[in-house]
Amino acid sequence: MKERKIKIKTENLEVYYGEKQALFDVNLEIHEKEVTALIGPSGCGKSTFIRCINRMNDVIDICKIKGSIEIDGKNINHKSIDVVRLREKVGMVFQKPNPFPKSIYDNIAYGPKIHGITKNKGELDNLIENSLRKAALWNEVKDRLHEPGTSLSGGQQQRLCIARAISVNPEIILMDEPCSALDPIATAKIEELIDELRETYTIIIVTHSMAQAVRVSQKTGFFHLGKLIEFGTTEKMFKNPSNNMTQDYITGRFG
Amino acid sequence: MTKDQRIKKRHRAEARFKLYGLLSIILALTFVGFLVFTIFSKGSDAFSKTTIKVNVSFNAEILSLPSNPSLEDIQDADYYDLALESINKLLLTSNPDDEKLLKKLFSPDFDLEIKNYLVKNPDLINQTQDINLTSSDDIDQLFKGNFPRDIPEDRRQVNDRQLEIFDELVAQDKIQKKFNNYFFTNGDSRDPELAGIGASLLGSFFSVVICLILSFPIAILASIYLEEFAPKNKITDFIEININNLAAVPSIVYGLLGLGILLGFMNFPRSTPLVAGITLALMTLPRIIIPCRASLKAVPPSIREGALAVGASKFQSVFHHVVPLSLPGTLSGTIIGLAQALGETAPLILIGMVAFVVDIPGSPIDPASSLPAQVYLWSESAERGFVEKTSATIMILLTFLIVMNFIAVYLRQKFEKKWN
Repeated sequence: MKERKIKIKTENLEVYYGEKQALFDVNLEIHEKEVTALIGPSGCGKSTFIRCINRMNDVIDICKIKGSIEIDGKNINHKSIDVVRLREKVGMVFQKPNPFPKSIYDNIAYGPKIHGITKNKGELDNLIENSLRKAALWNEVKDRLHEPGTSLSGGQQQRLCIARAISVNPEIILMDEPCSALDPIATAKIEELIDELRETYTIIIVTHSMAQAVRVSQKTGFFHLGKLIEFGTTEKMFKNPSNNMTQDYITGRFG
Repeated sequence: MTKDQRIKKRHRAEARFKLYGLLSIILALTFVGFLVFTIFSKGSDAFSKTTIKVNVSFNAEILSLPSNPSLEDIQDADYYDLALESINKLLLTSNPDDEKLLKKLFSPDFDLEIKNYLVKNPDLINQTQDINLTSSDDIDQLFKGNFPRDIPEDRRQVNDRQLEIFDELVAQDKIQKKFNNYFFTNGDSRDPELAGIGASLLGSFFSVVICLILSFPIAILASIYLEEFAPKNKITDFIEININNLAAVPSIVYGLLGLGILLGFMNFPRSTPLVAGITLALMTLPRIIIPCRASLKAVPPSIREGALAVGASKFQSVFHHVVPLSLPGTLSGTIIGLAQALGETAPLILIGMVAFVVDIPGSPIDPASSLPAQVYLWSESAERGFVEKTSATIMILLTFLIVMNFIAVYLRQKFEKKWN
């Protein structure tokens, strides 16, 4: 497999919540149009890490970030980067499906509307259809676009949230344990979807399921206690990890 | 103790607890029922008044009206002699003592009622018409059955001869109960049959509207800023603690503030709805901010994150998502705060809203009273007629409060969104 272009690069990334240090010296390169899975026990800093990439941690007053995160070679924490533009480029899907308590249509229309992506209603309708198709939800909801998004099932809600993230044409999609609240069938659908989305987007997925990491990702990173222990291709990681701790974790001896 | 005994004891404890709970609810409902019953049984009489049917002939000569009088002439004429002559016709024999006694059966404004009737129907000049004139307070109470007839004559307001005349008029079917429009349209009066809640109703209305205009936007903006934008630090904590404390400050302290600053320092007009509204707004502000903040807090953080993640700015995430979702709680909190302001008496006493106001206020800077202050005023009056008026005013006030609370509940249920 040929090496793709580097999309995200972190150097000496350290994150503090007040006095407590959550990430220690994380150096990572994430390649374009690949799925990178982040695994590790709870509280190891995986979610903290991906929340740095779209600067979601800005919301938390006590959070301090040191080191650099570059997307396409630009430091995203630089003053010249507008966080709104950054988040347009870096979409996010959360652990618990969080559709707005509005119609399915409005849920997806919100992003394009605030960014002024479409010029008229026809374009917006097309964009919504495309987003829903890409999220493999169109066939299920095309006849009830004006019903509330919260009336969908858990798996459908999560795909709606993926469609919402896609609607603003991001380059990167961050997924924070997107399947942890879903049943196995809904999980399978989302995993299938992630595999398709890989052709268009760079995806980082945080997961607790080793099996899921194997199924969907090309690269895997293992975090433990805020440190990146090992990073490499998923195949090598799960067949022949170079670190003993990784070995112990993926075989279920701790975590 | 065996296991069985222990389990039995636990069940008994639960049964006992349920019984106590049930008893307290029954007790509470009994008190409420008792209160409502007393107020309604006393107050319902105030909505009717007693009238005496009098045959009036609008003699242009007695009124000394010119031929073809204008409306102004009719308004300026003196109706006292005409009124006296008309009511004296009720007596079979002419007798100056009886006439004097008869006059006391009517409310002191009986000539004005005749005048108002003619002003409304100017075609009646030189014709006769039966008019129902308002009776005096004593006759009113007598007819409603609240007047003790059997006490000695020298301790009664109505003497034996007057009772005779009254009974005769009742036998002739000239005394009737009518809807008491004065209760709603008149201002305060020394005569219970003429006293009404017009001035206090409008005073309360103006005060609450001013209170709403001032407190609602300030409270909403303050709570949005504190909840969504303010940095979490010591100053914010300090402000938060103080808002909570202010909500618990006795309302009379706000009255002192209004008295000292608005009346004393800024020289605002005394006993006006404007001052009352500002004072009530100061009092209501923290009481609205607290539920507003609570309802903002109740919006799940995932909604904020969802909006931020598609690239909404902080401002957009708050005003497109959080504020609309918090609206039901915000609105019902505001209405309940206003309902409290409507029923507030203590601060109004200090800024002079407990005044004897006869004229209906036309604007918020005219002297006015307020409903709870009116209750307070009338409850201290000696006349029997004011007892029912006091209760009736409480009924009106309670009706407004219940309606406002229902609106609050309705708004909360109608606009509440369910997530997941």
